[in-house]
Amino acid sequence: MTVSATALASPLTAARAALRRPAPSLRDWAGWLLLLPAVAFLLAFFVLPAVTLFAYSILTQHADGTVSLPVTFNHFSHFFRESVYSHVLFDTLKMALATAALAILLGYPVALAMLRASPLGMRLMTIMLIAPLIVSVVVRTYGWQLILANSRSGVLNWILMSLGIIDHPLRILYTQAAVVIASLHVFFPMMVLPLVSALAKIDPDVENAARTLGAGAWSTFRRVSLPLSLPGLAVGFTLVFSLTASSYVTPAILGGTNAQMLGNLIEQQITAVYDWPFGATVAVVLVATVLAMNFVSGWIFERRRA
Amino acid sequence: MNGRAVAASLALRTVTGLTFLFIAAPLVVTMALSISDTRFVAFPPKGFTLSWFGNVVANPDFRSSLYYSLWLAASATAGALLLGMPAALALVRFQVKGSAALRSLLLSPLVFPVLITGLALLQLFSMMGWQVVWRNLLIAHILVTFPYVVRTVSASLILADVTLEEAARTLGASRWRAFVRVTLPQIAPGVVAGALFAFMVSFDNFPVSMWLADAANDPMPMFIYRHATGVFDPSVAATSTLMIGLAIVVVLAIERLVGLKRAMGI
Repeated sequence: MTVSATALASPLTAARAALRRPAPSLRDWAGWLLLLPAVAFLLAFFVLPAVTLFAYSILTQHADGTVSLPVTFNHFSHFFRESVYSHVLFDTLKMALATAALAILLGYPVALAMLRASPLGMRLMTIMLIAPLIVSVVVRTYGWQLILANSRSGVLNWILMSLGIIDHPLRILYTQAAVVIASLHVFFPMMVLPLVSALAKIDPDVENAARTLGAGAWSTFRRVSLPLSLPGLAVGFTLVFSLTASSYVTPAILGGTNAQMLGNLIEQQITAVYDWPFGATVAVVLVATVLAMNFVSGWIFERRRA
Repeated sequence: MNGRAVAASLALRTVTGLTFLFIAAPLVVTMALSISDTRFVAFPPKGFTLSWFGNVVANPDFRSSLYYSLWLAASATAGALLLGMPAALALVRFQVKGSAALRSLLLSPLVFPVLITGLALLQLFSMMGWQVVWRNLLIAHILVTFPYVVRTVSASLILADVTLEEAARTLGASRWRAFVRVTLPQIAPGVVAGALFAFMVSFDNFPVSMWLADAANDPMPMFIYRHATGVFDPSVAATSTLMIGLAIVVVLAIERLVGLKRAMGI
């Protein structure tokens, strides 16, 4: 349920900050006092545990189950040397990239249609887009399990067979395709919302100028709207990729044995194997993957814009 | 409009229509199969019965899961408001050094994989020997919900008119009184929207609960997950339909209160 953090940027804020009188130090202290509970809570239950977890990835687990020094990088070399594990990383990247790419392809038409709709149409589409977002991922994944079921009574198979398009039921459930389809559904709003806000900021006169100068709908989009909406695209791409790559439920229910992700590997290492250092190692790999993609997409889209 | 522009507009509408069909599909299918008079979930639904809902509501495990989730989500929301509202106020209205960095820090649980947040907390709680499961779950749920409150409340504080509060101050109201009587009513819809968001984030949460829950502390998503992978009659669809119904009510409430577009930041 993450939404664009850019939402709060407002020219008013900047203007007001400039107009603010220099504050007495008392107000400084009051501000700190108001922030203190939240910051302390965050340090105790988020920053500290995350650092401890990451530290486990380079510590040694002893025969009695305790974890301590010496420092070792064996867990990481184990992860990258064993093809079983590196394959899960590869599959995770593949499925998350496919989901993000599909989200871009479908996100632009939907965002453009929303912006061109009447106020009522925009409201209805926003509700339709966001309502599923507030339904638990478990429920939505269950719905996809019903649609993609491999038997004749799966919704998709039933429709395709009734229409005479296929003779035998398709086998989509328990494949990577099933995970990509359901992840696209779960995280699609994360692409559309930043795209809508980026496209809405484009001055309509710029697009009109392109049209007046003879550009068709497609080249106006490709040469004007698309480049100007790249910041929204970067936000959407990063969100969809990161959220898909850190999934657990969707691959657990729809992926079978062929489409497990890093999250499923972590769960297995912690709850079945009790190997905390290795579970922590996979967690570090997952967080590093997500961070790396954040930097890469920021770098690519910023450079394109320059 | 020339022919090509008409074709482009038609293509845009078709793709958009199909995409919305795709968005609605799993929810509609789940709801349709929840009233199917068959022993196993199978498409197309046959007949009509509400007996699956009867089964679900009569199931004591379902009821205790539902009550547990409602309690957990309400408590987490209260905690999130207590932590998030003062923090948002400090970030927007007070001059705190490094407030941009603090803001990113407070919102960082939103961009960090939630699954890993839950795992890190499991490790912390087991190292500390904290075995009170409801308390651990509550801490975890406050952690994943309060950034939403920080975000929606600071968004509405930014939109609230400072000059009105300054006018009240000029007319002799104390700082506190001006805030309560002038600013609070302006941000109230944003606060309620943030609270509803926090409530649903907690109510829907799986990736944190999966590490910390146990048989006696069994939130709804955990209950549905177990049944989705192990029960094949339409009662799972009925349970899911109840969850979908709650989500629709909340979405419409947010739309009425502040407008979804504003709540989601577009």
